[in-house]
Parts: sequence; structure tokens; C-alpha cells
Amino acid sequence: MKTALITGVTGQDGAYLAEFLLGKGYIVHGIKRRSSMFNTDRIDHLYQDPHVSKRNFVLHYGDMTDSSSLIRIIQEVQPDEIYNLAAQSHVAVSFEEPEYTANSDALGALRVLEAIRILGLEKKTRFYQASTSELYGLVQEVPQKETTPFYPRSPYAVAKLYAYWITVNYRESYGMYACNGILFNHESPIRGETFVTRKITRALARIKLGLQDCLYLGNLDSLRDWGHAKDYVEMQWLMLQQESAEDFVIATGVQFSVRDFVNAAAAELGIAVRWEGTGVNEKGYDADGNCIVAVDERYFRPAEVETLLGDASKARQKLGWTPKITFKELVSEMVREDLRKAERDELVKRHGYTAPNHHE
Amino acid sequence: MRTALITGITGQDGSLLAEFLLGKGYRVVGLVRRESWFRQGSSPELPEGVEILFGDMAEGVDIASAIHDARPDEVYNLASQSRPGESWSRAPETLLVNGLGAVRLFEAVRHHSPECRIYHASSSEMYGQACESPQDESTPFNPVNPYAAAKVYAHQMARIYRDSYGLFIASGILFNHESERRPLHFLTQKVAYGAACASLGIATSPATNEMGRPIVEDGVLSLGNLEVARDWGYAGDFVRAMWLMLQQDIPDEFVIGTGTLHTLAGLCEIAYGAVGLDWKQNVVSDPSLVRPLESGQTLANPSKAKQLLGWEPTVSFEDMIRRMVAAQVENLRSLDR
Repeated sequence: MKTALITGVTGQDGAYLAEFLLGKGYIVHGIKRRSSMFNTDRIDHLYQDPHVSKRNFVLHYGDMTDSSSLIRIIQEVQPDEIYNLAAQSHVAVSFEEPEYTANSDALGALRVLEAIRILGLEKKTRFYQASTSELYGLVQEVPQKETTPFYPRSPYAVAKLYAYWITVNYRESYGMYACNGILFNHESPIRGETFVTRKITRALARIKLGLQDCLYLGNLDSLRDWGHAKDYVEMQWLMLQQESAEDFVIATGVQFSVRDFVNAAAAELGIAVRWEGTGVNEKGYDADGNCIVAVDERYFRPAEVETLLGDASKARQKLGWTPKITFKELVSEMVREDLRKAERDELVKRHGYTAPNHHE
Repeated sequence: MRTALITGITGQDGSLLAEFLLGKGYRVVGLVRRESWFRQGSSPELPEGVEILFGDMAEGVDIASAIHDARPDEVYNLASQSRPGESWSRAPETLLVNGLGAVRLFEAVRHHSPECRIYHASSSEMYGQACESPQDESTPFNPVNPYAAAKVYAHQMARIYRDSYGLFIASGILFNHESERRPLHFLTQKVAYGAACASLGIATSPATNEMGRPIVEDGVLSLGNLEVARDWGYAGDFVRAMWLMLQQDIPDEFVIGTGTLHTLAGLCEIAYGAVGLDWKQNVVSDPSLVRPLESGQTLANPSKAKQLLGWEPTVSFEDMIRRMVAAQVENLRSLDR
């Protein structure tokens, strides 16, 4: 029986991957940060009481910025596989917190690699680094594949690029099984609420039920290659099951704009959006003429990444992987789940209780 | 009077740049770590008139204070853990100083004096196993050690602060540059030192190498692969390029190098030739000194710097090596006295 350690287990990918690995019979350990709020929503269904004997899902307190916690946990767990998914993963926030982003995303990856090395686990422990399509930033060719030169455009992307290179360096210099999955955007009903796809499905569901009036977005023309996180975590695992470590692009190869995403999500709710105006004045109206989508310049990034489109031919050829869930199915599932949550809030409110009212 | 703040002022480039800027009438302030200051004493290589502020690139508040207190018109960010080979055993510190240190500096300038111009020291090490030769500003990076990866990080962040916030940050992608002030662990200085020892008949040198052995032992200087070739320029020329970059209308990235390759064997020939000796009698290649993952052959294409900055090297490779050997001979003689 194999043991896996997941950093970032409380995130979208961490939750899907933990569930996937448990299904494969793994013992799964996860690292979570101490927070003043509960932060395990996404994995609460996997939780096992510490009093239960022979647990196969164990959480540890730790932090990517705290090397001694990482070394202690890795020593204790002696994992066969480490999936490094933990990161300050929000591009816009990285402009506000460049130093913390580098500390957790760049130094964090290095700390894990160093821990593997100094604990003498180079031959035992396989390492997966969550790299990102944001590395391509100002894209140098279309579509982007493993050999496309990088051109990062945010502190997040630059920190992730460091982690990418240091993973390659440790593989080549120490012979470690360490690889990068360059994953294009991947979404799901448990995507963080501040990421654009989830922000859209959540807001439209709430607008539908009268809990909210308008959805404010940044660049509606941004083009992205959106897949389903559930498909992508399978790839993360596959990459660690090969003869030798290699880096792979994971993507659907299909591209939509943010506006397309809004239209698709609205359609799932039976709303036809009528667009008027251009640029910052562009607005989306429902059939009754209510403005339900508007542009807010505050969501523009200092440097925009206009277009990302992945070419996952290598993964298809070498790993036999193709994404199973289509864009339409992804949007549909996200809308369905967010509508249920909105219905719950509406119900709670109607009965005189306070419904959660989160803001960015 | 214009004020320049130099991080890493106790290093080779820092001290040469300080002299250059004082000569131009600048007020020069250096940011110095307490430990490197007291290790060196009051550094003999730092010219009169340099003001010192204590601070560490690993501490964000120190950098912000230095910007606030010195009120510089220009900042030259030269501080770094500068040994690629050693970066394997000091990888986190290397990123902390070379990478995060730069970002802290950019942030401090953005908040406290956005008009201040910044020179950032990038490195040809970023090309690593370069995919084309020679390398220019558009050659993709392929770093092969933690030092290079940290330099790529800082270089890309400089670009982001330039593009996103309109800060004036010029990045110099400097190829190897040497001088009489190079420390002994650098290849060129090691060879100059070896030649100086040979000319003075010193069979076992007082100075030791990274392994704690005398650099010259039983009359022999041991080096790694003698066929490695580098683009070596004179540091005095390079600091002039740094200053030139900050006098332009727009901030940009520039490759600074000579555009000529010399092998280590060629370097030995000139160095030992300078004291009338045959290098082959004094130098051996020791396989144990060959680096596990060598950076590829890096050769600069400095056309952009030539075209836009009017920059060209003035000191030839031969002259530089002869100067370095002469300085080492002088140094060894003064030890003897």
C-alpha cells in the first residue's frame, strides 16, 4: 500500500486528489494551515476521527513557509509520493503580496525538495510540482506546449516559474523523480469563490434567486482553456507512475472567453444575456432589462494574460490521457451546485435566519 | 548632487561602481550587512566618501529603511549570493537574497520613491544550457542551478514591475566580468594567483581553495575542465554600462559581454606568459574539480548595448589578465615584506 502526502490538501485539487488516491487504496496524508476560520470544507467528507484505528486519511498542521514543519511531517510520513499543490494561487492577490507569494510558492517548493534530499528520500519519494499555464503569460506561440518559452506576467507566475526550474534542477542534479504538471485552468463546483469561473456561477445563481443584483467582472475578452479539476488530478497521479520523470502540459485544447463562460452559465439558468456597449462600458442585461453583468476596472490586472490555449499531445501520446468532462458539462455542474447553495441561503433567509454573506 | 544607493557595495562590482560614481560627482551610499563589514574591517577597496547604511537583503524592513533614509535618485542592486556552485548547498538563502531581496527593493521604491531609477544585476548564468549561441536579450532562459533560477526569478520580477507599475528598472544581463578585485574562488583570479606564485617561486601557496587545500600545491595549480570557454570581460567596463543604462529615456534589458570566447587553457597561457612561464609546466586538470552539471557555453551578443548605449569594452582580455597577475604578484610580495 502506497503513502501519499498532499500539500494544499484543503484546496480544490487537493480535495479531488485525496479522494482519487483513497479510491486507489493509498494512505493519504495532507498538510493544512492553521487558520482562525475552519478551512477544511472541501475535505470534511473524507475526515476520519483520530480515535478510529487504522486511519487512511490523516491531516497535519504545517505551512509552506515553515521549513521545520515540512521536514517533520515528511520524516514522519515517509511518503512514496508528494504532491505539492499548496500555493498562494491567486494571480491578482500576488500583486498585493509578492513576497508572501514567493515565500510559499517558490521557496515552499524548494523547501519540500530540500526536505526530501536531506531526509535521504531521493530514491524513494516521487515529487509532483503543480506548475501552471500562467507561466506562458504573454504567449510566445499558440497553442502552448512543453517546449514553448515562458513569459510570466505576474508575481504568481514568476514564483511558479522558479518552482518549475528548481524541480527540473533537482531532477537533473540529484536524479530525483520530480516532475512538473503544467496545468491549464481547471475548475469545479469547489473552485475558490474568487476565481472567475466560480465567481460567475455563484453570482448568477444568486441573481437568479434574487439574492444579488449584479455581477462585476474584469476583462471579458480574456481567453482561457478550461478543464475539470477531477480530470486533471488523475493526470497528476499518472505523471508519478511512469518509468522516468517528465514534464507534461495538461489542457483541453479548447478555448472560451470570460463572456462565453457567462453566456453558458446563464443559459443553464434559463437566462439569455443581452450584451451592450464595449470596453469598460460593456453591460449584460436580462430579459427584463436589468443589468446583471458589468465591468469593474478594479478587476483588471496590472498586466493582463489575454489568451491561454494548451496542446496536451504529449500527455495524450505518452500517458494515454484525454479529458472526459466537456466545457458544457463543467459549466452545468458548477451552476447546479451553486444554485443549490443559493437555494439553501434563500431558504434560510426566508425563515428568518442569517445566511452567509461572503465578499471578496 | 545626485544620490546613488548601492547594494552589495563591498563586492567587486560595488566597489568599482562606487569609485566610478564618485568620479561623476554622485553622493554614494552603500547598503552593507554588518557581518560582511566587520569581517572586512573598513574595506580598503571602498573609496573615501562612501556613506554606509547597515542592512540585509534578507530583511524587507532594512531595504525600505535604506530607500527612505538615503533618498536615492538611482539604486544599483548588486547584492547577491554570487556563487552558482555553492547555491546547491545554500539554495533557500540564495532565493531569499537574490530573488526576494530584489522584490523587496522594487516594492520599497514603488512605495517610497517611484521616481527613483533602479539598475538590477541579472546574469548570463540565466541562460544555463543555452539553446542558441551567442545569447542576446531574447534568448530563452534555461537555468541549471539554484543561483540561476533565483536570478531568473528576480529578472522576471524586474520586468513585471517595469511593465505593470512603470518603474524605471534596467536589467543588465552581465556575462563574466573580472578584475584585480575578484575574490580568489573565481577561476580567473585563481589562475592569476597561480601564475603569480609560480613567478615568485612559491611552491605551496598561503591561500587555500574551497576544499581547504593550498591553491598551488607542490608547484601545481589544479583546475577542472581546461576546455571550458567563457566570455570574460573587465568589470571596470561593466560598471560603466550599469550607469549608462540608467541615463536612457526608457528602462530596458541589456546583454553586457565582450562577444569573444576564451578557453581556460587560453587564460592560463596568457597569465603564465605574463610572467614568462609555460603554463603547461604549472597547471593540471583534475577530474574531481569538474562540475556535475556545467552551465553551457555562454557567449554574449552585446549589439543592443553597443547600438543603444554606445557601450564597448575598452580593456582587452589579455590586458585584464596581465593586470590581475601583476596585482597578485604585488600582493604576494607585500605579504612577504
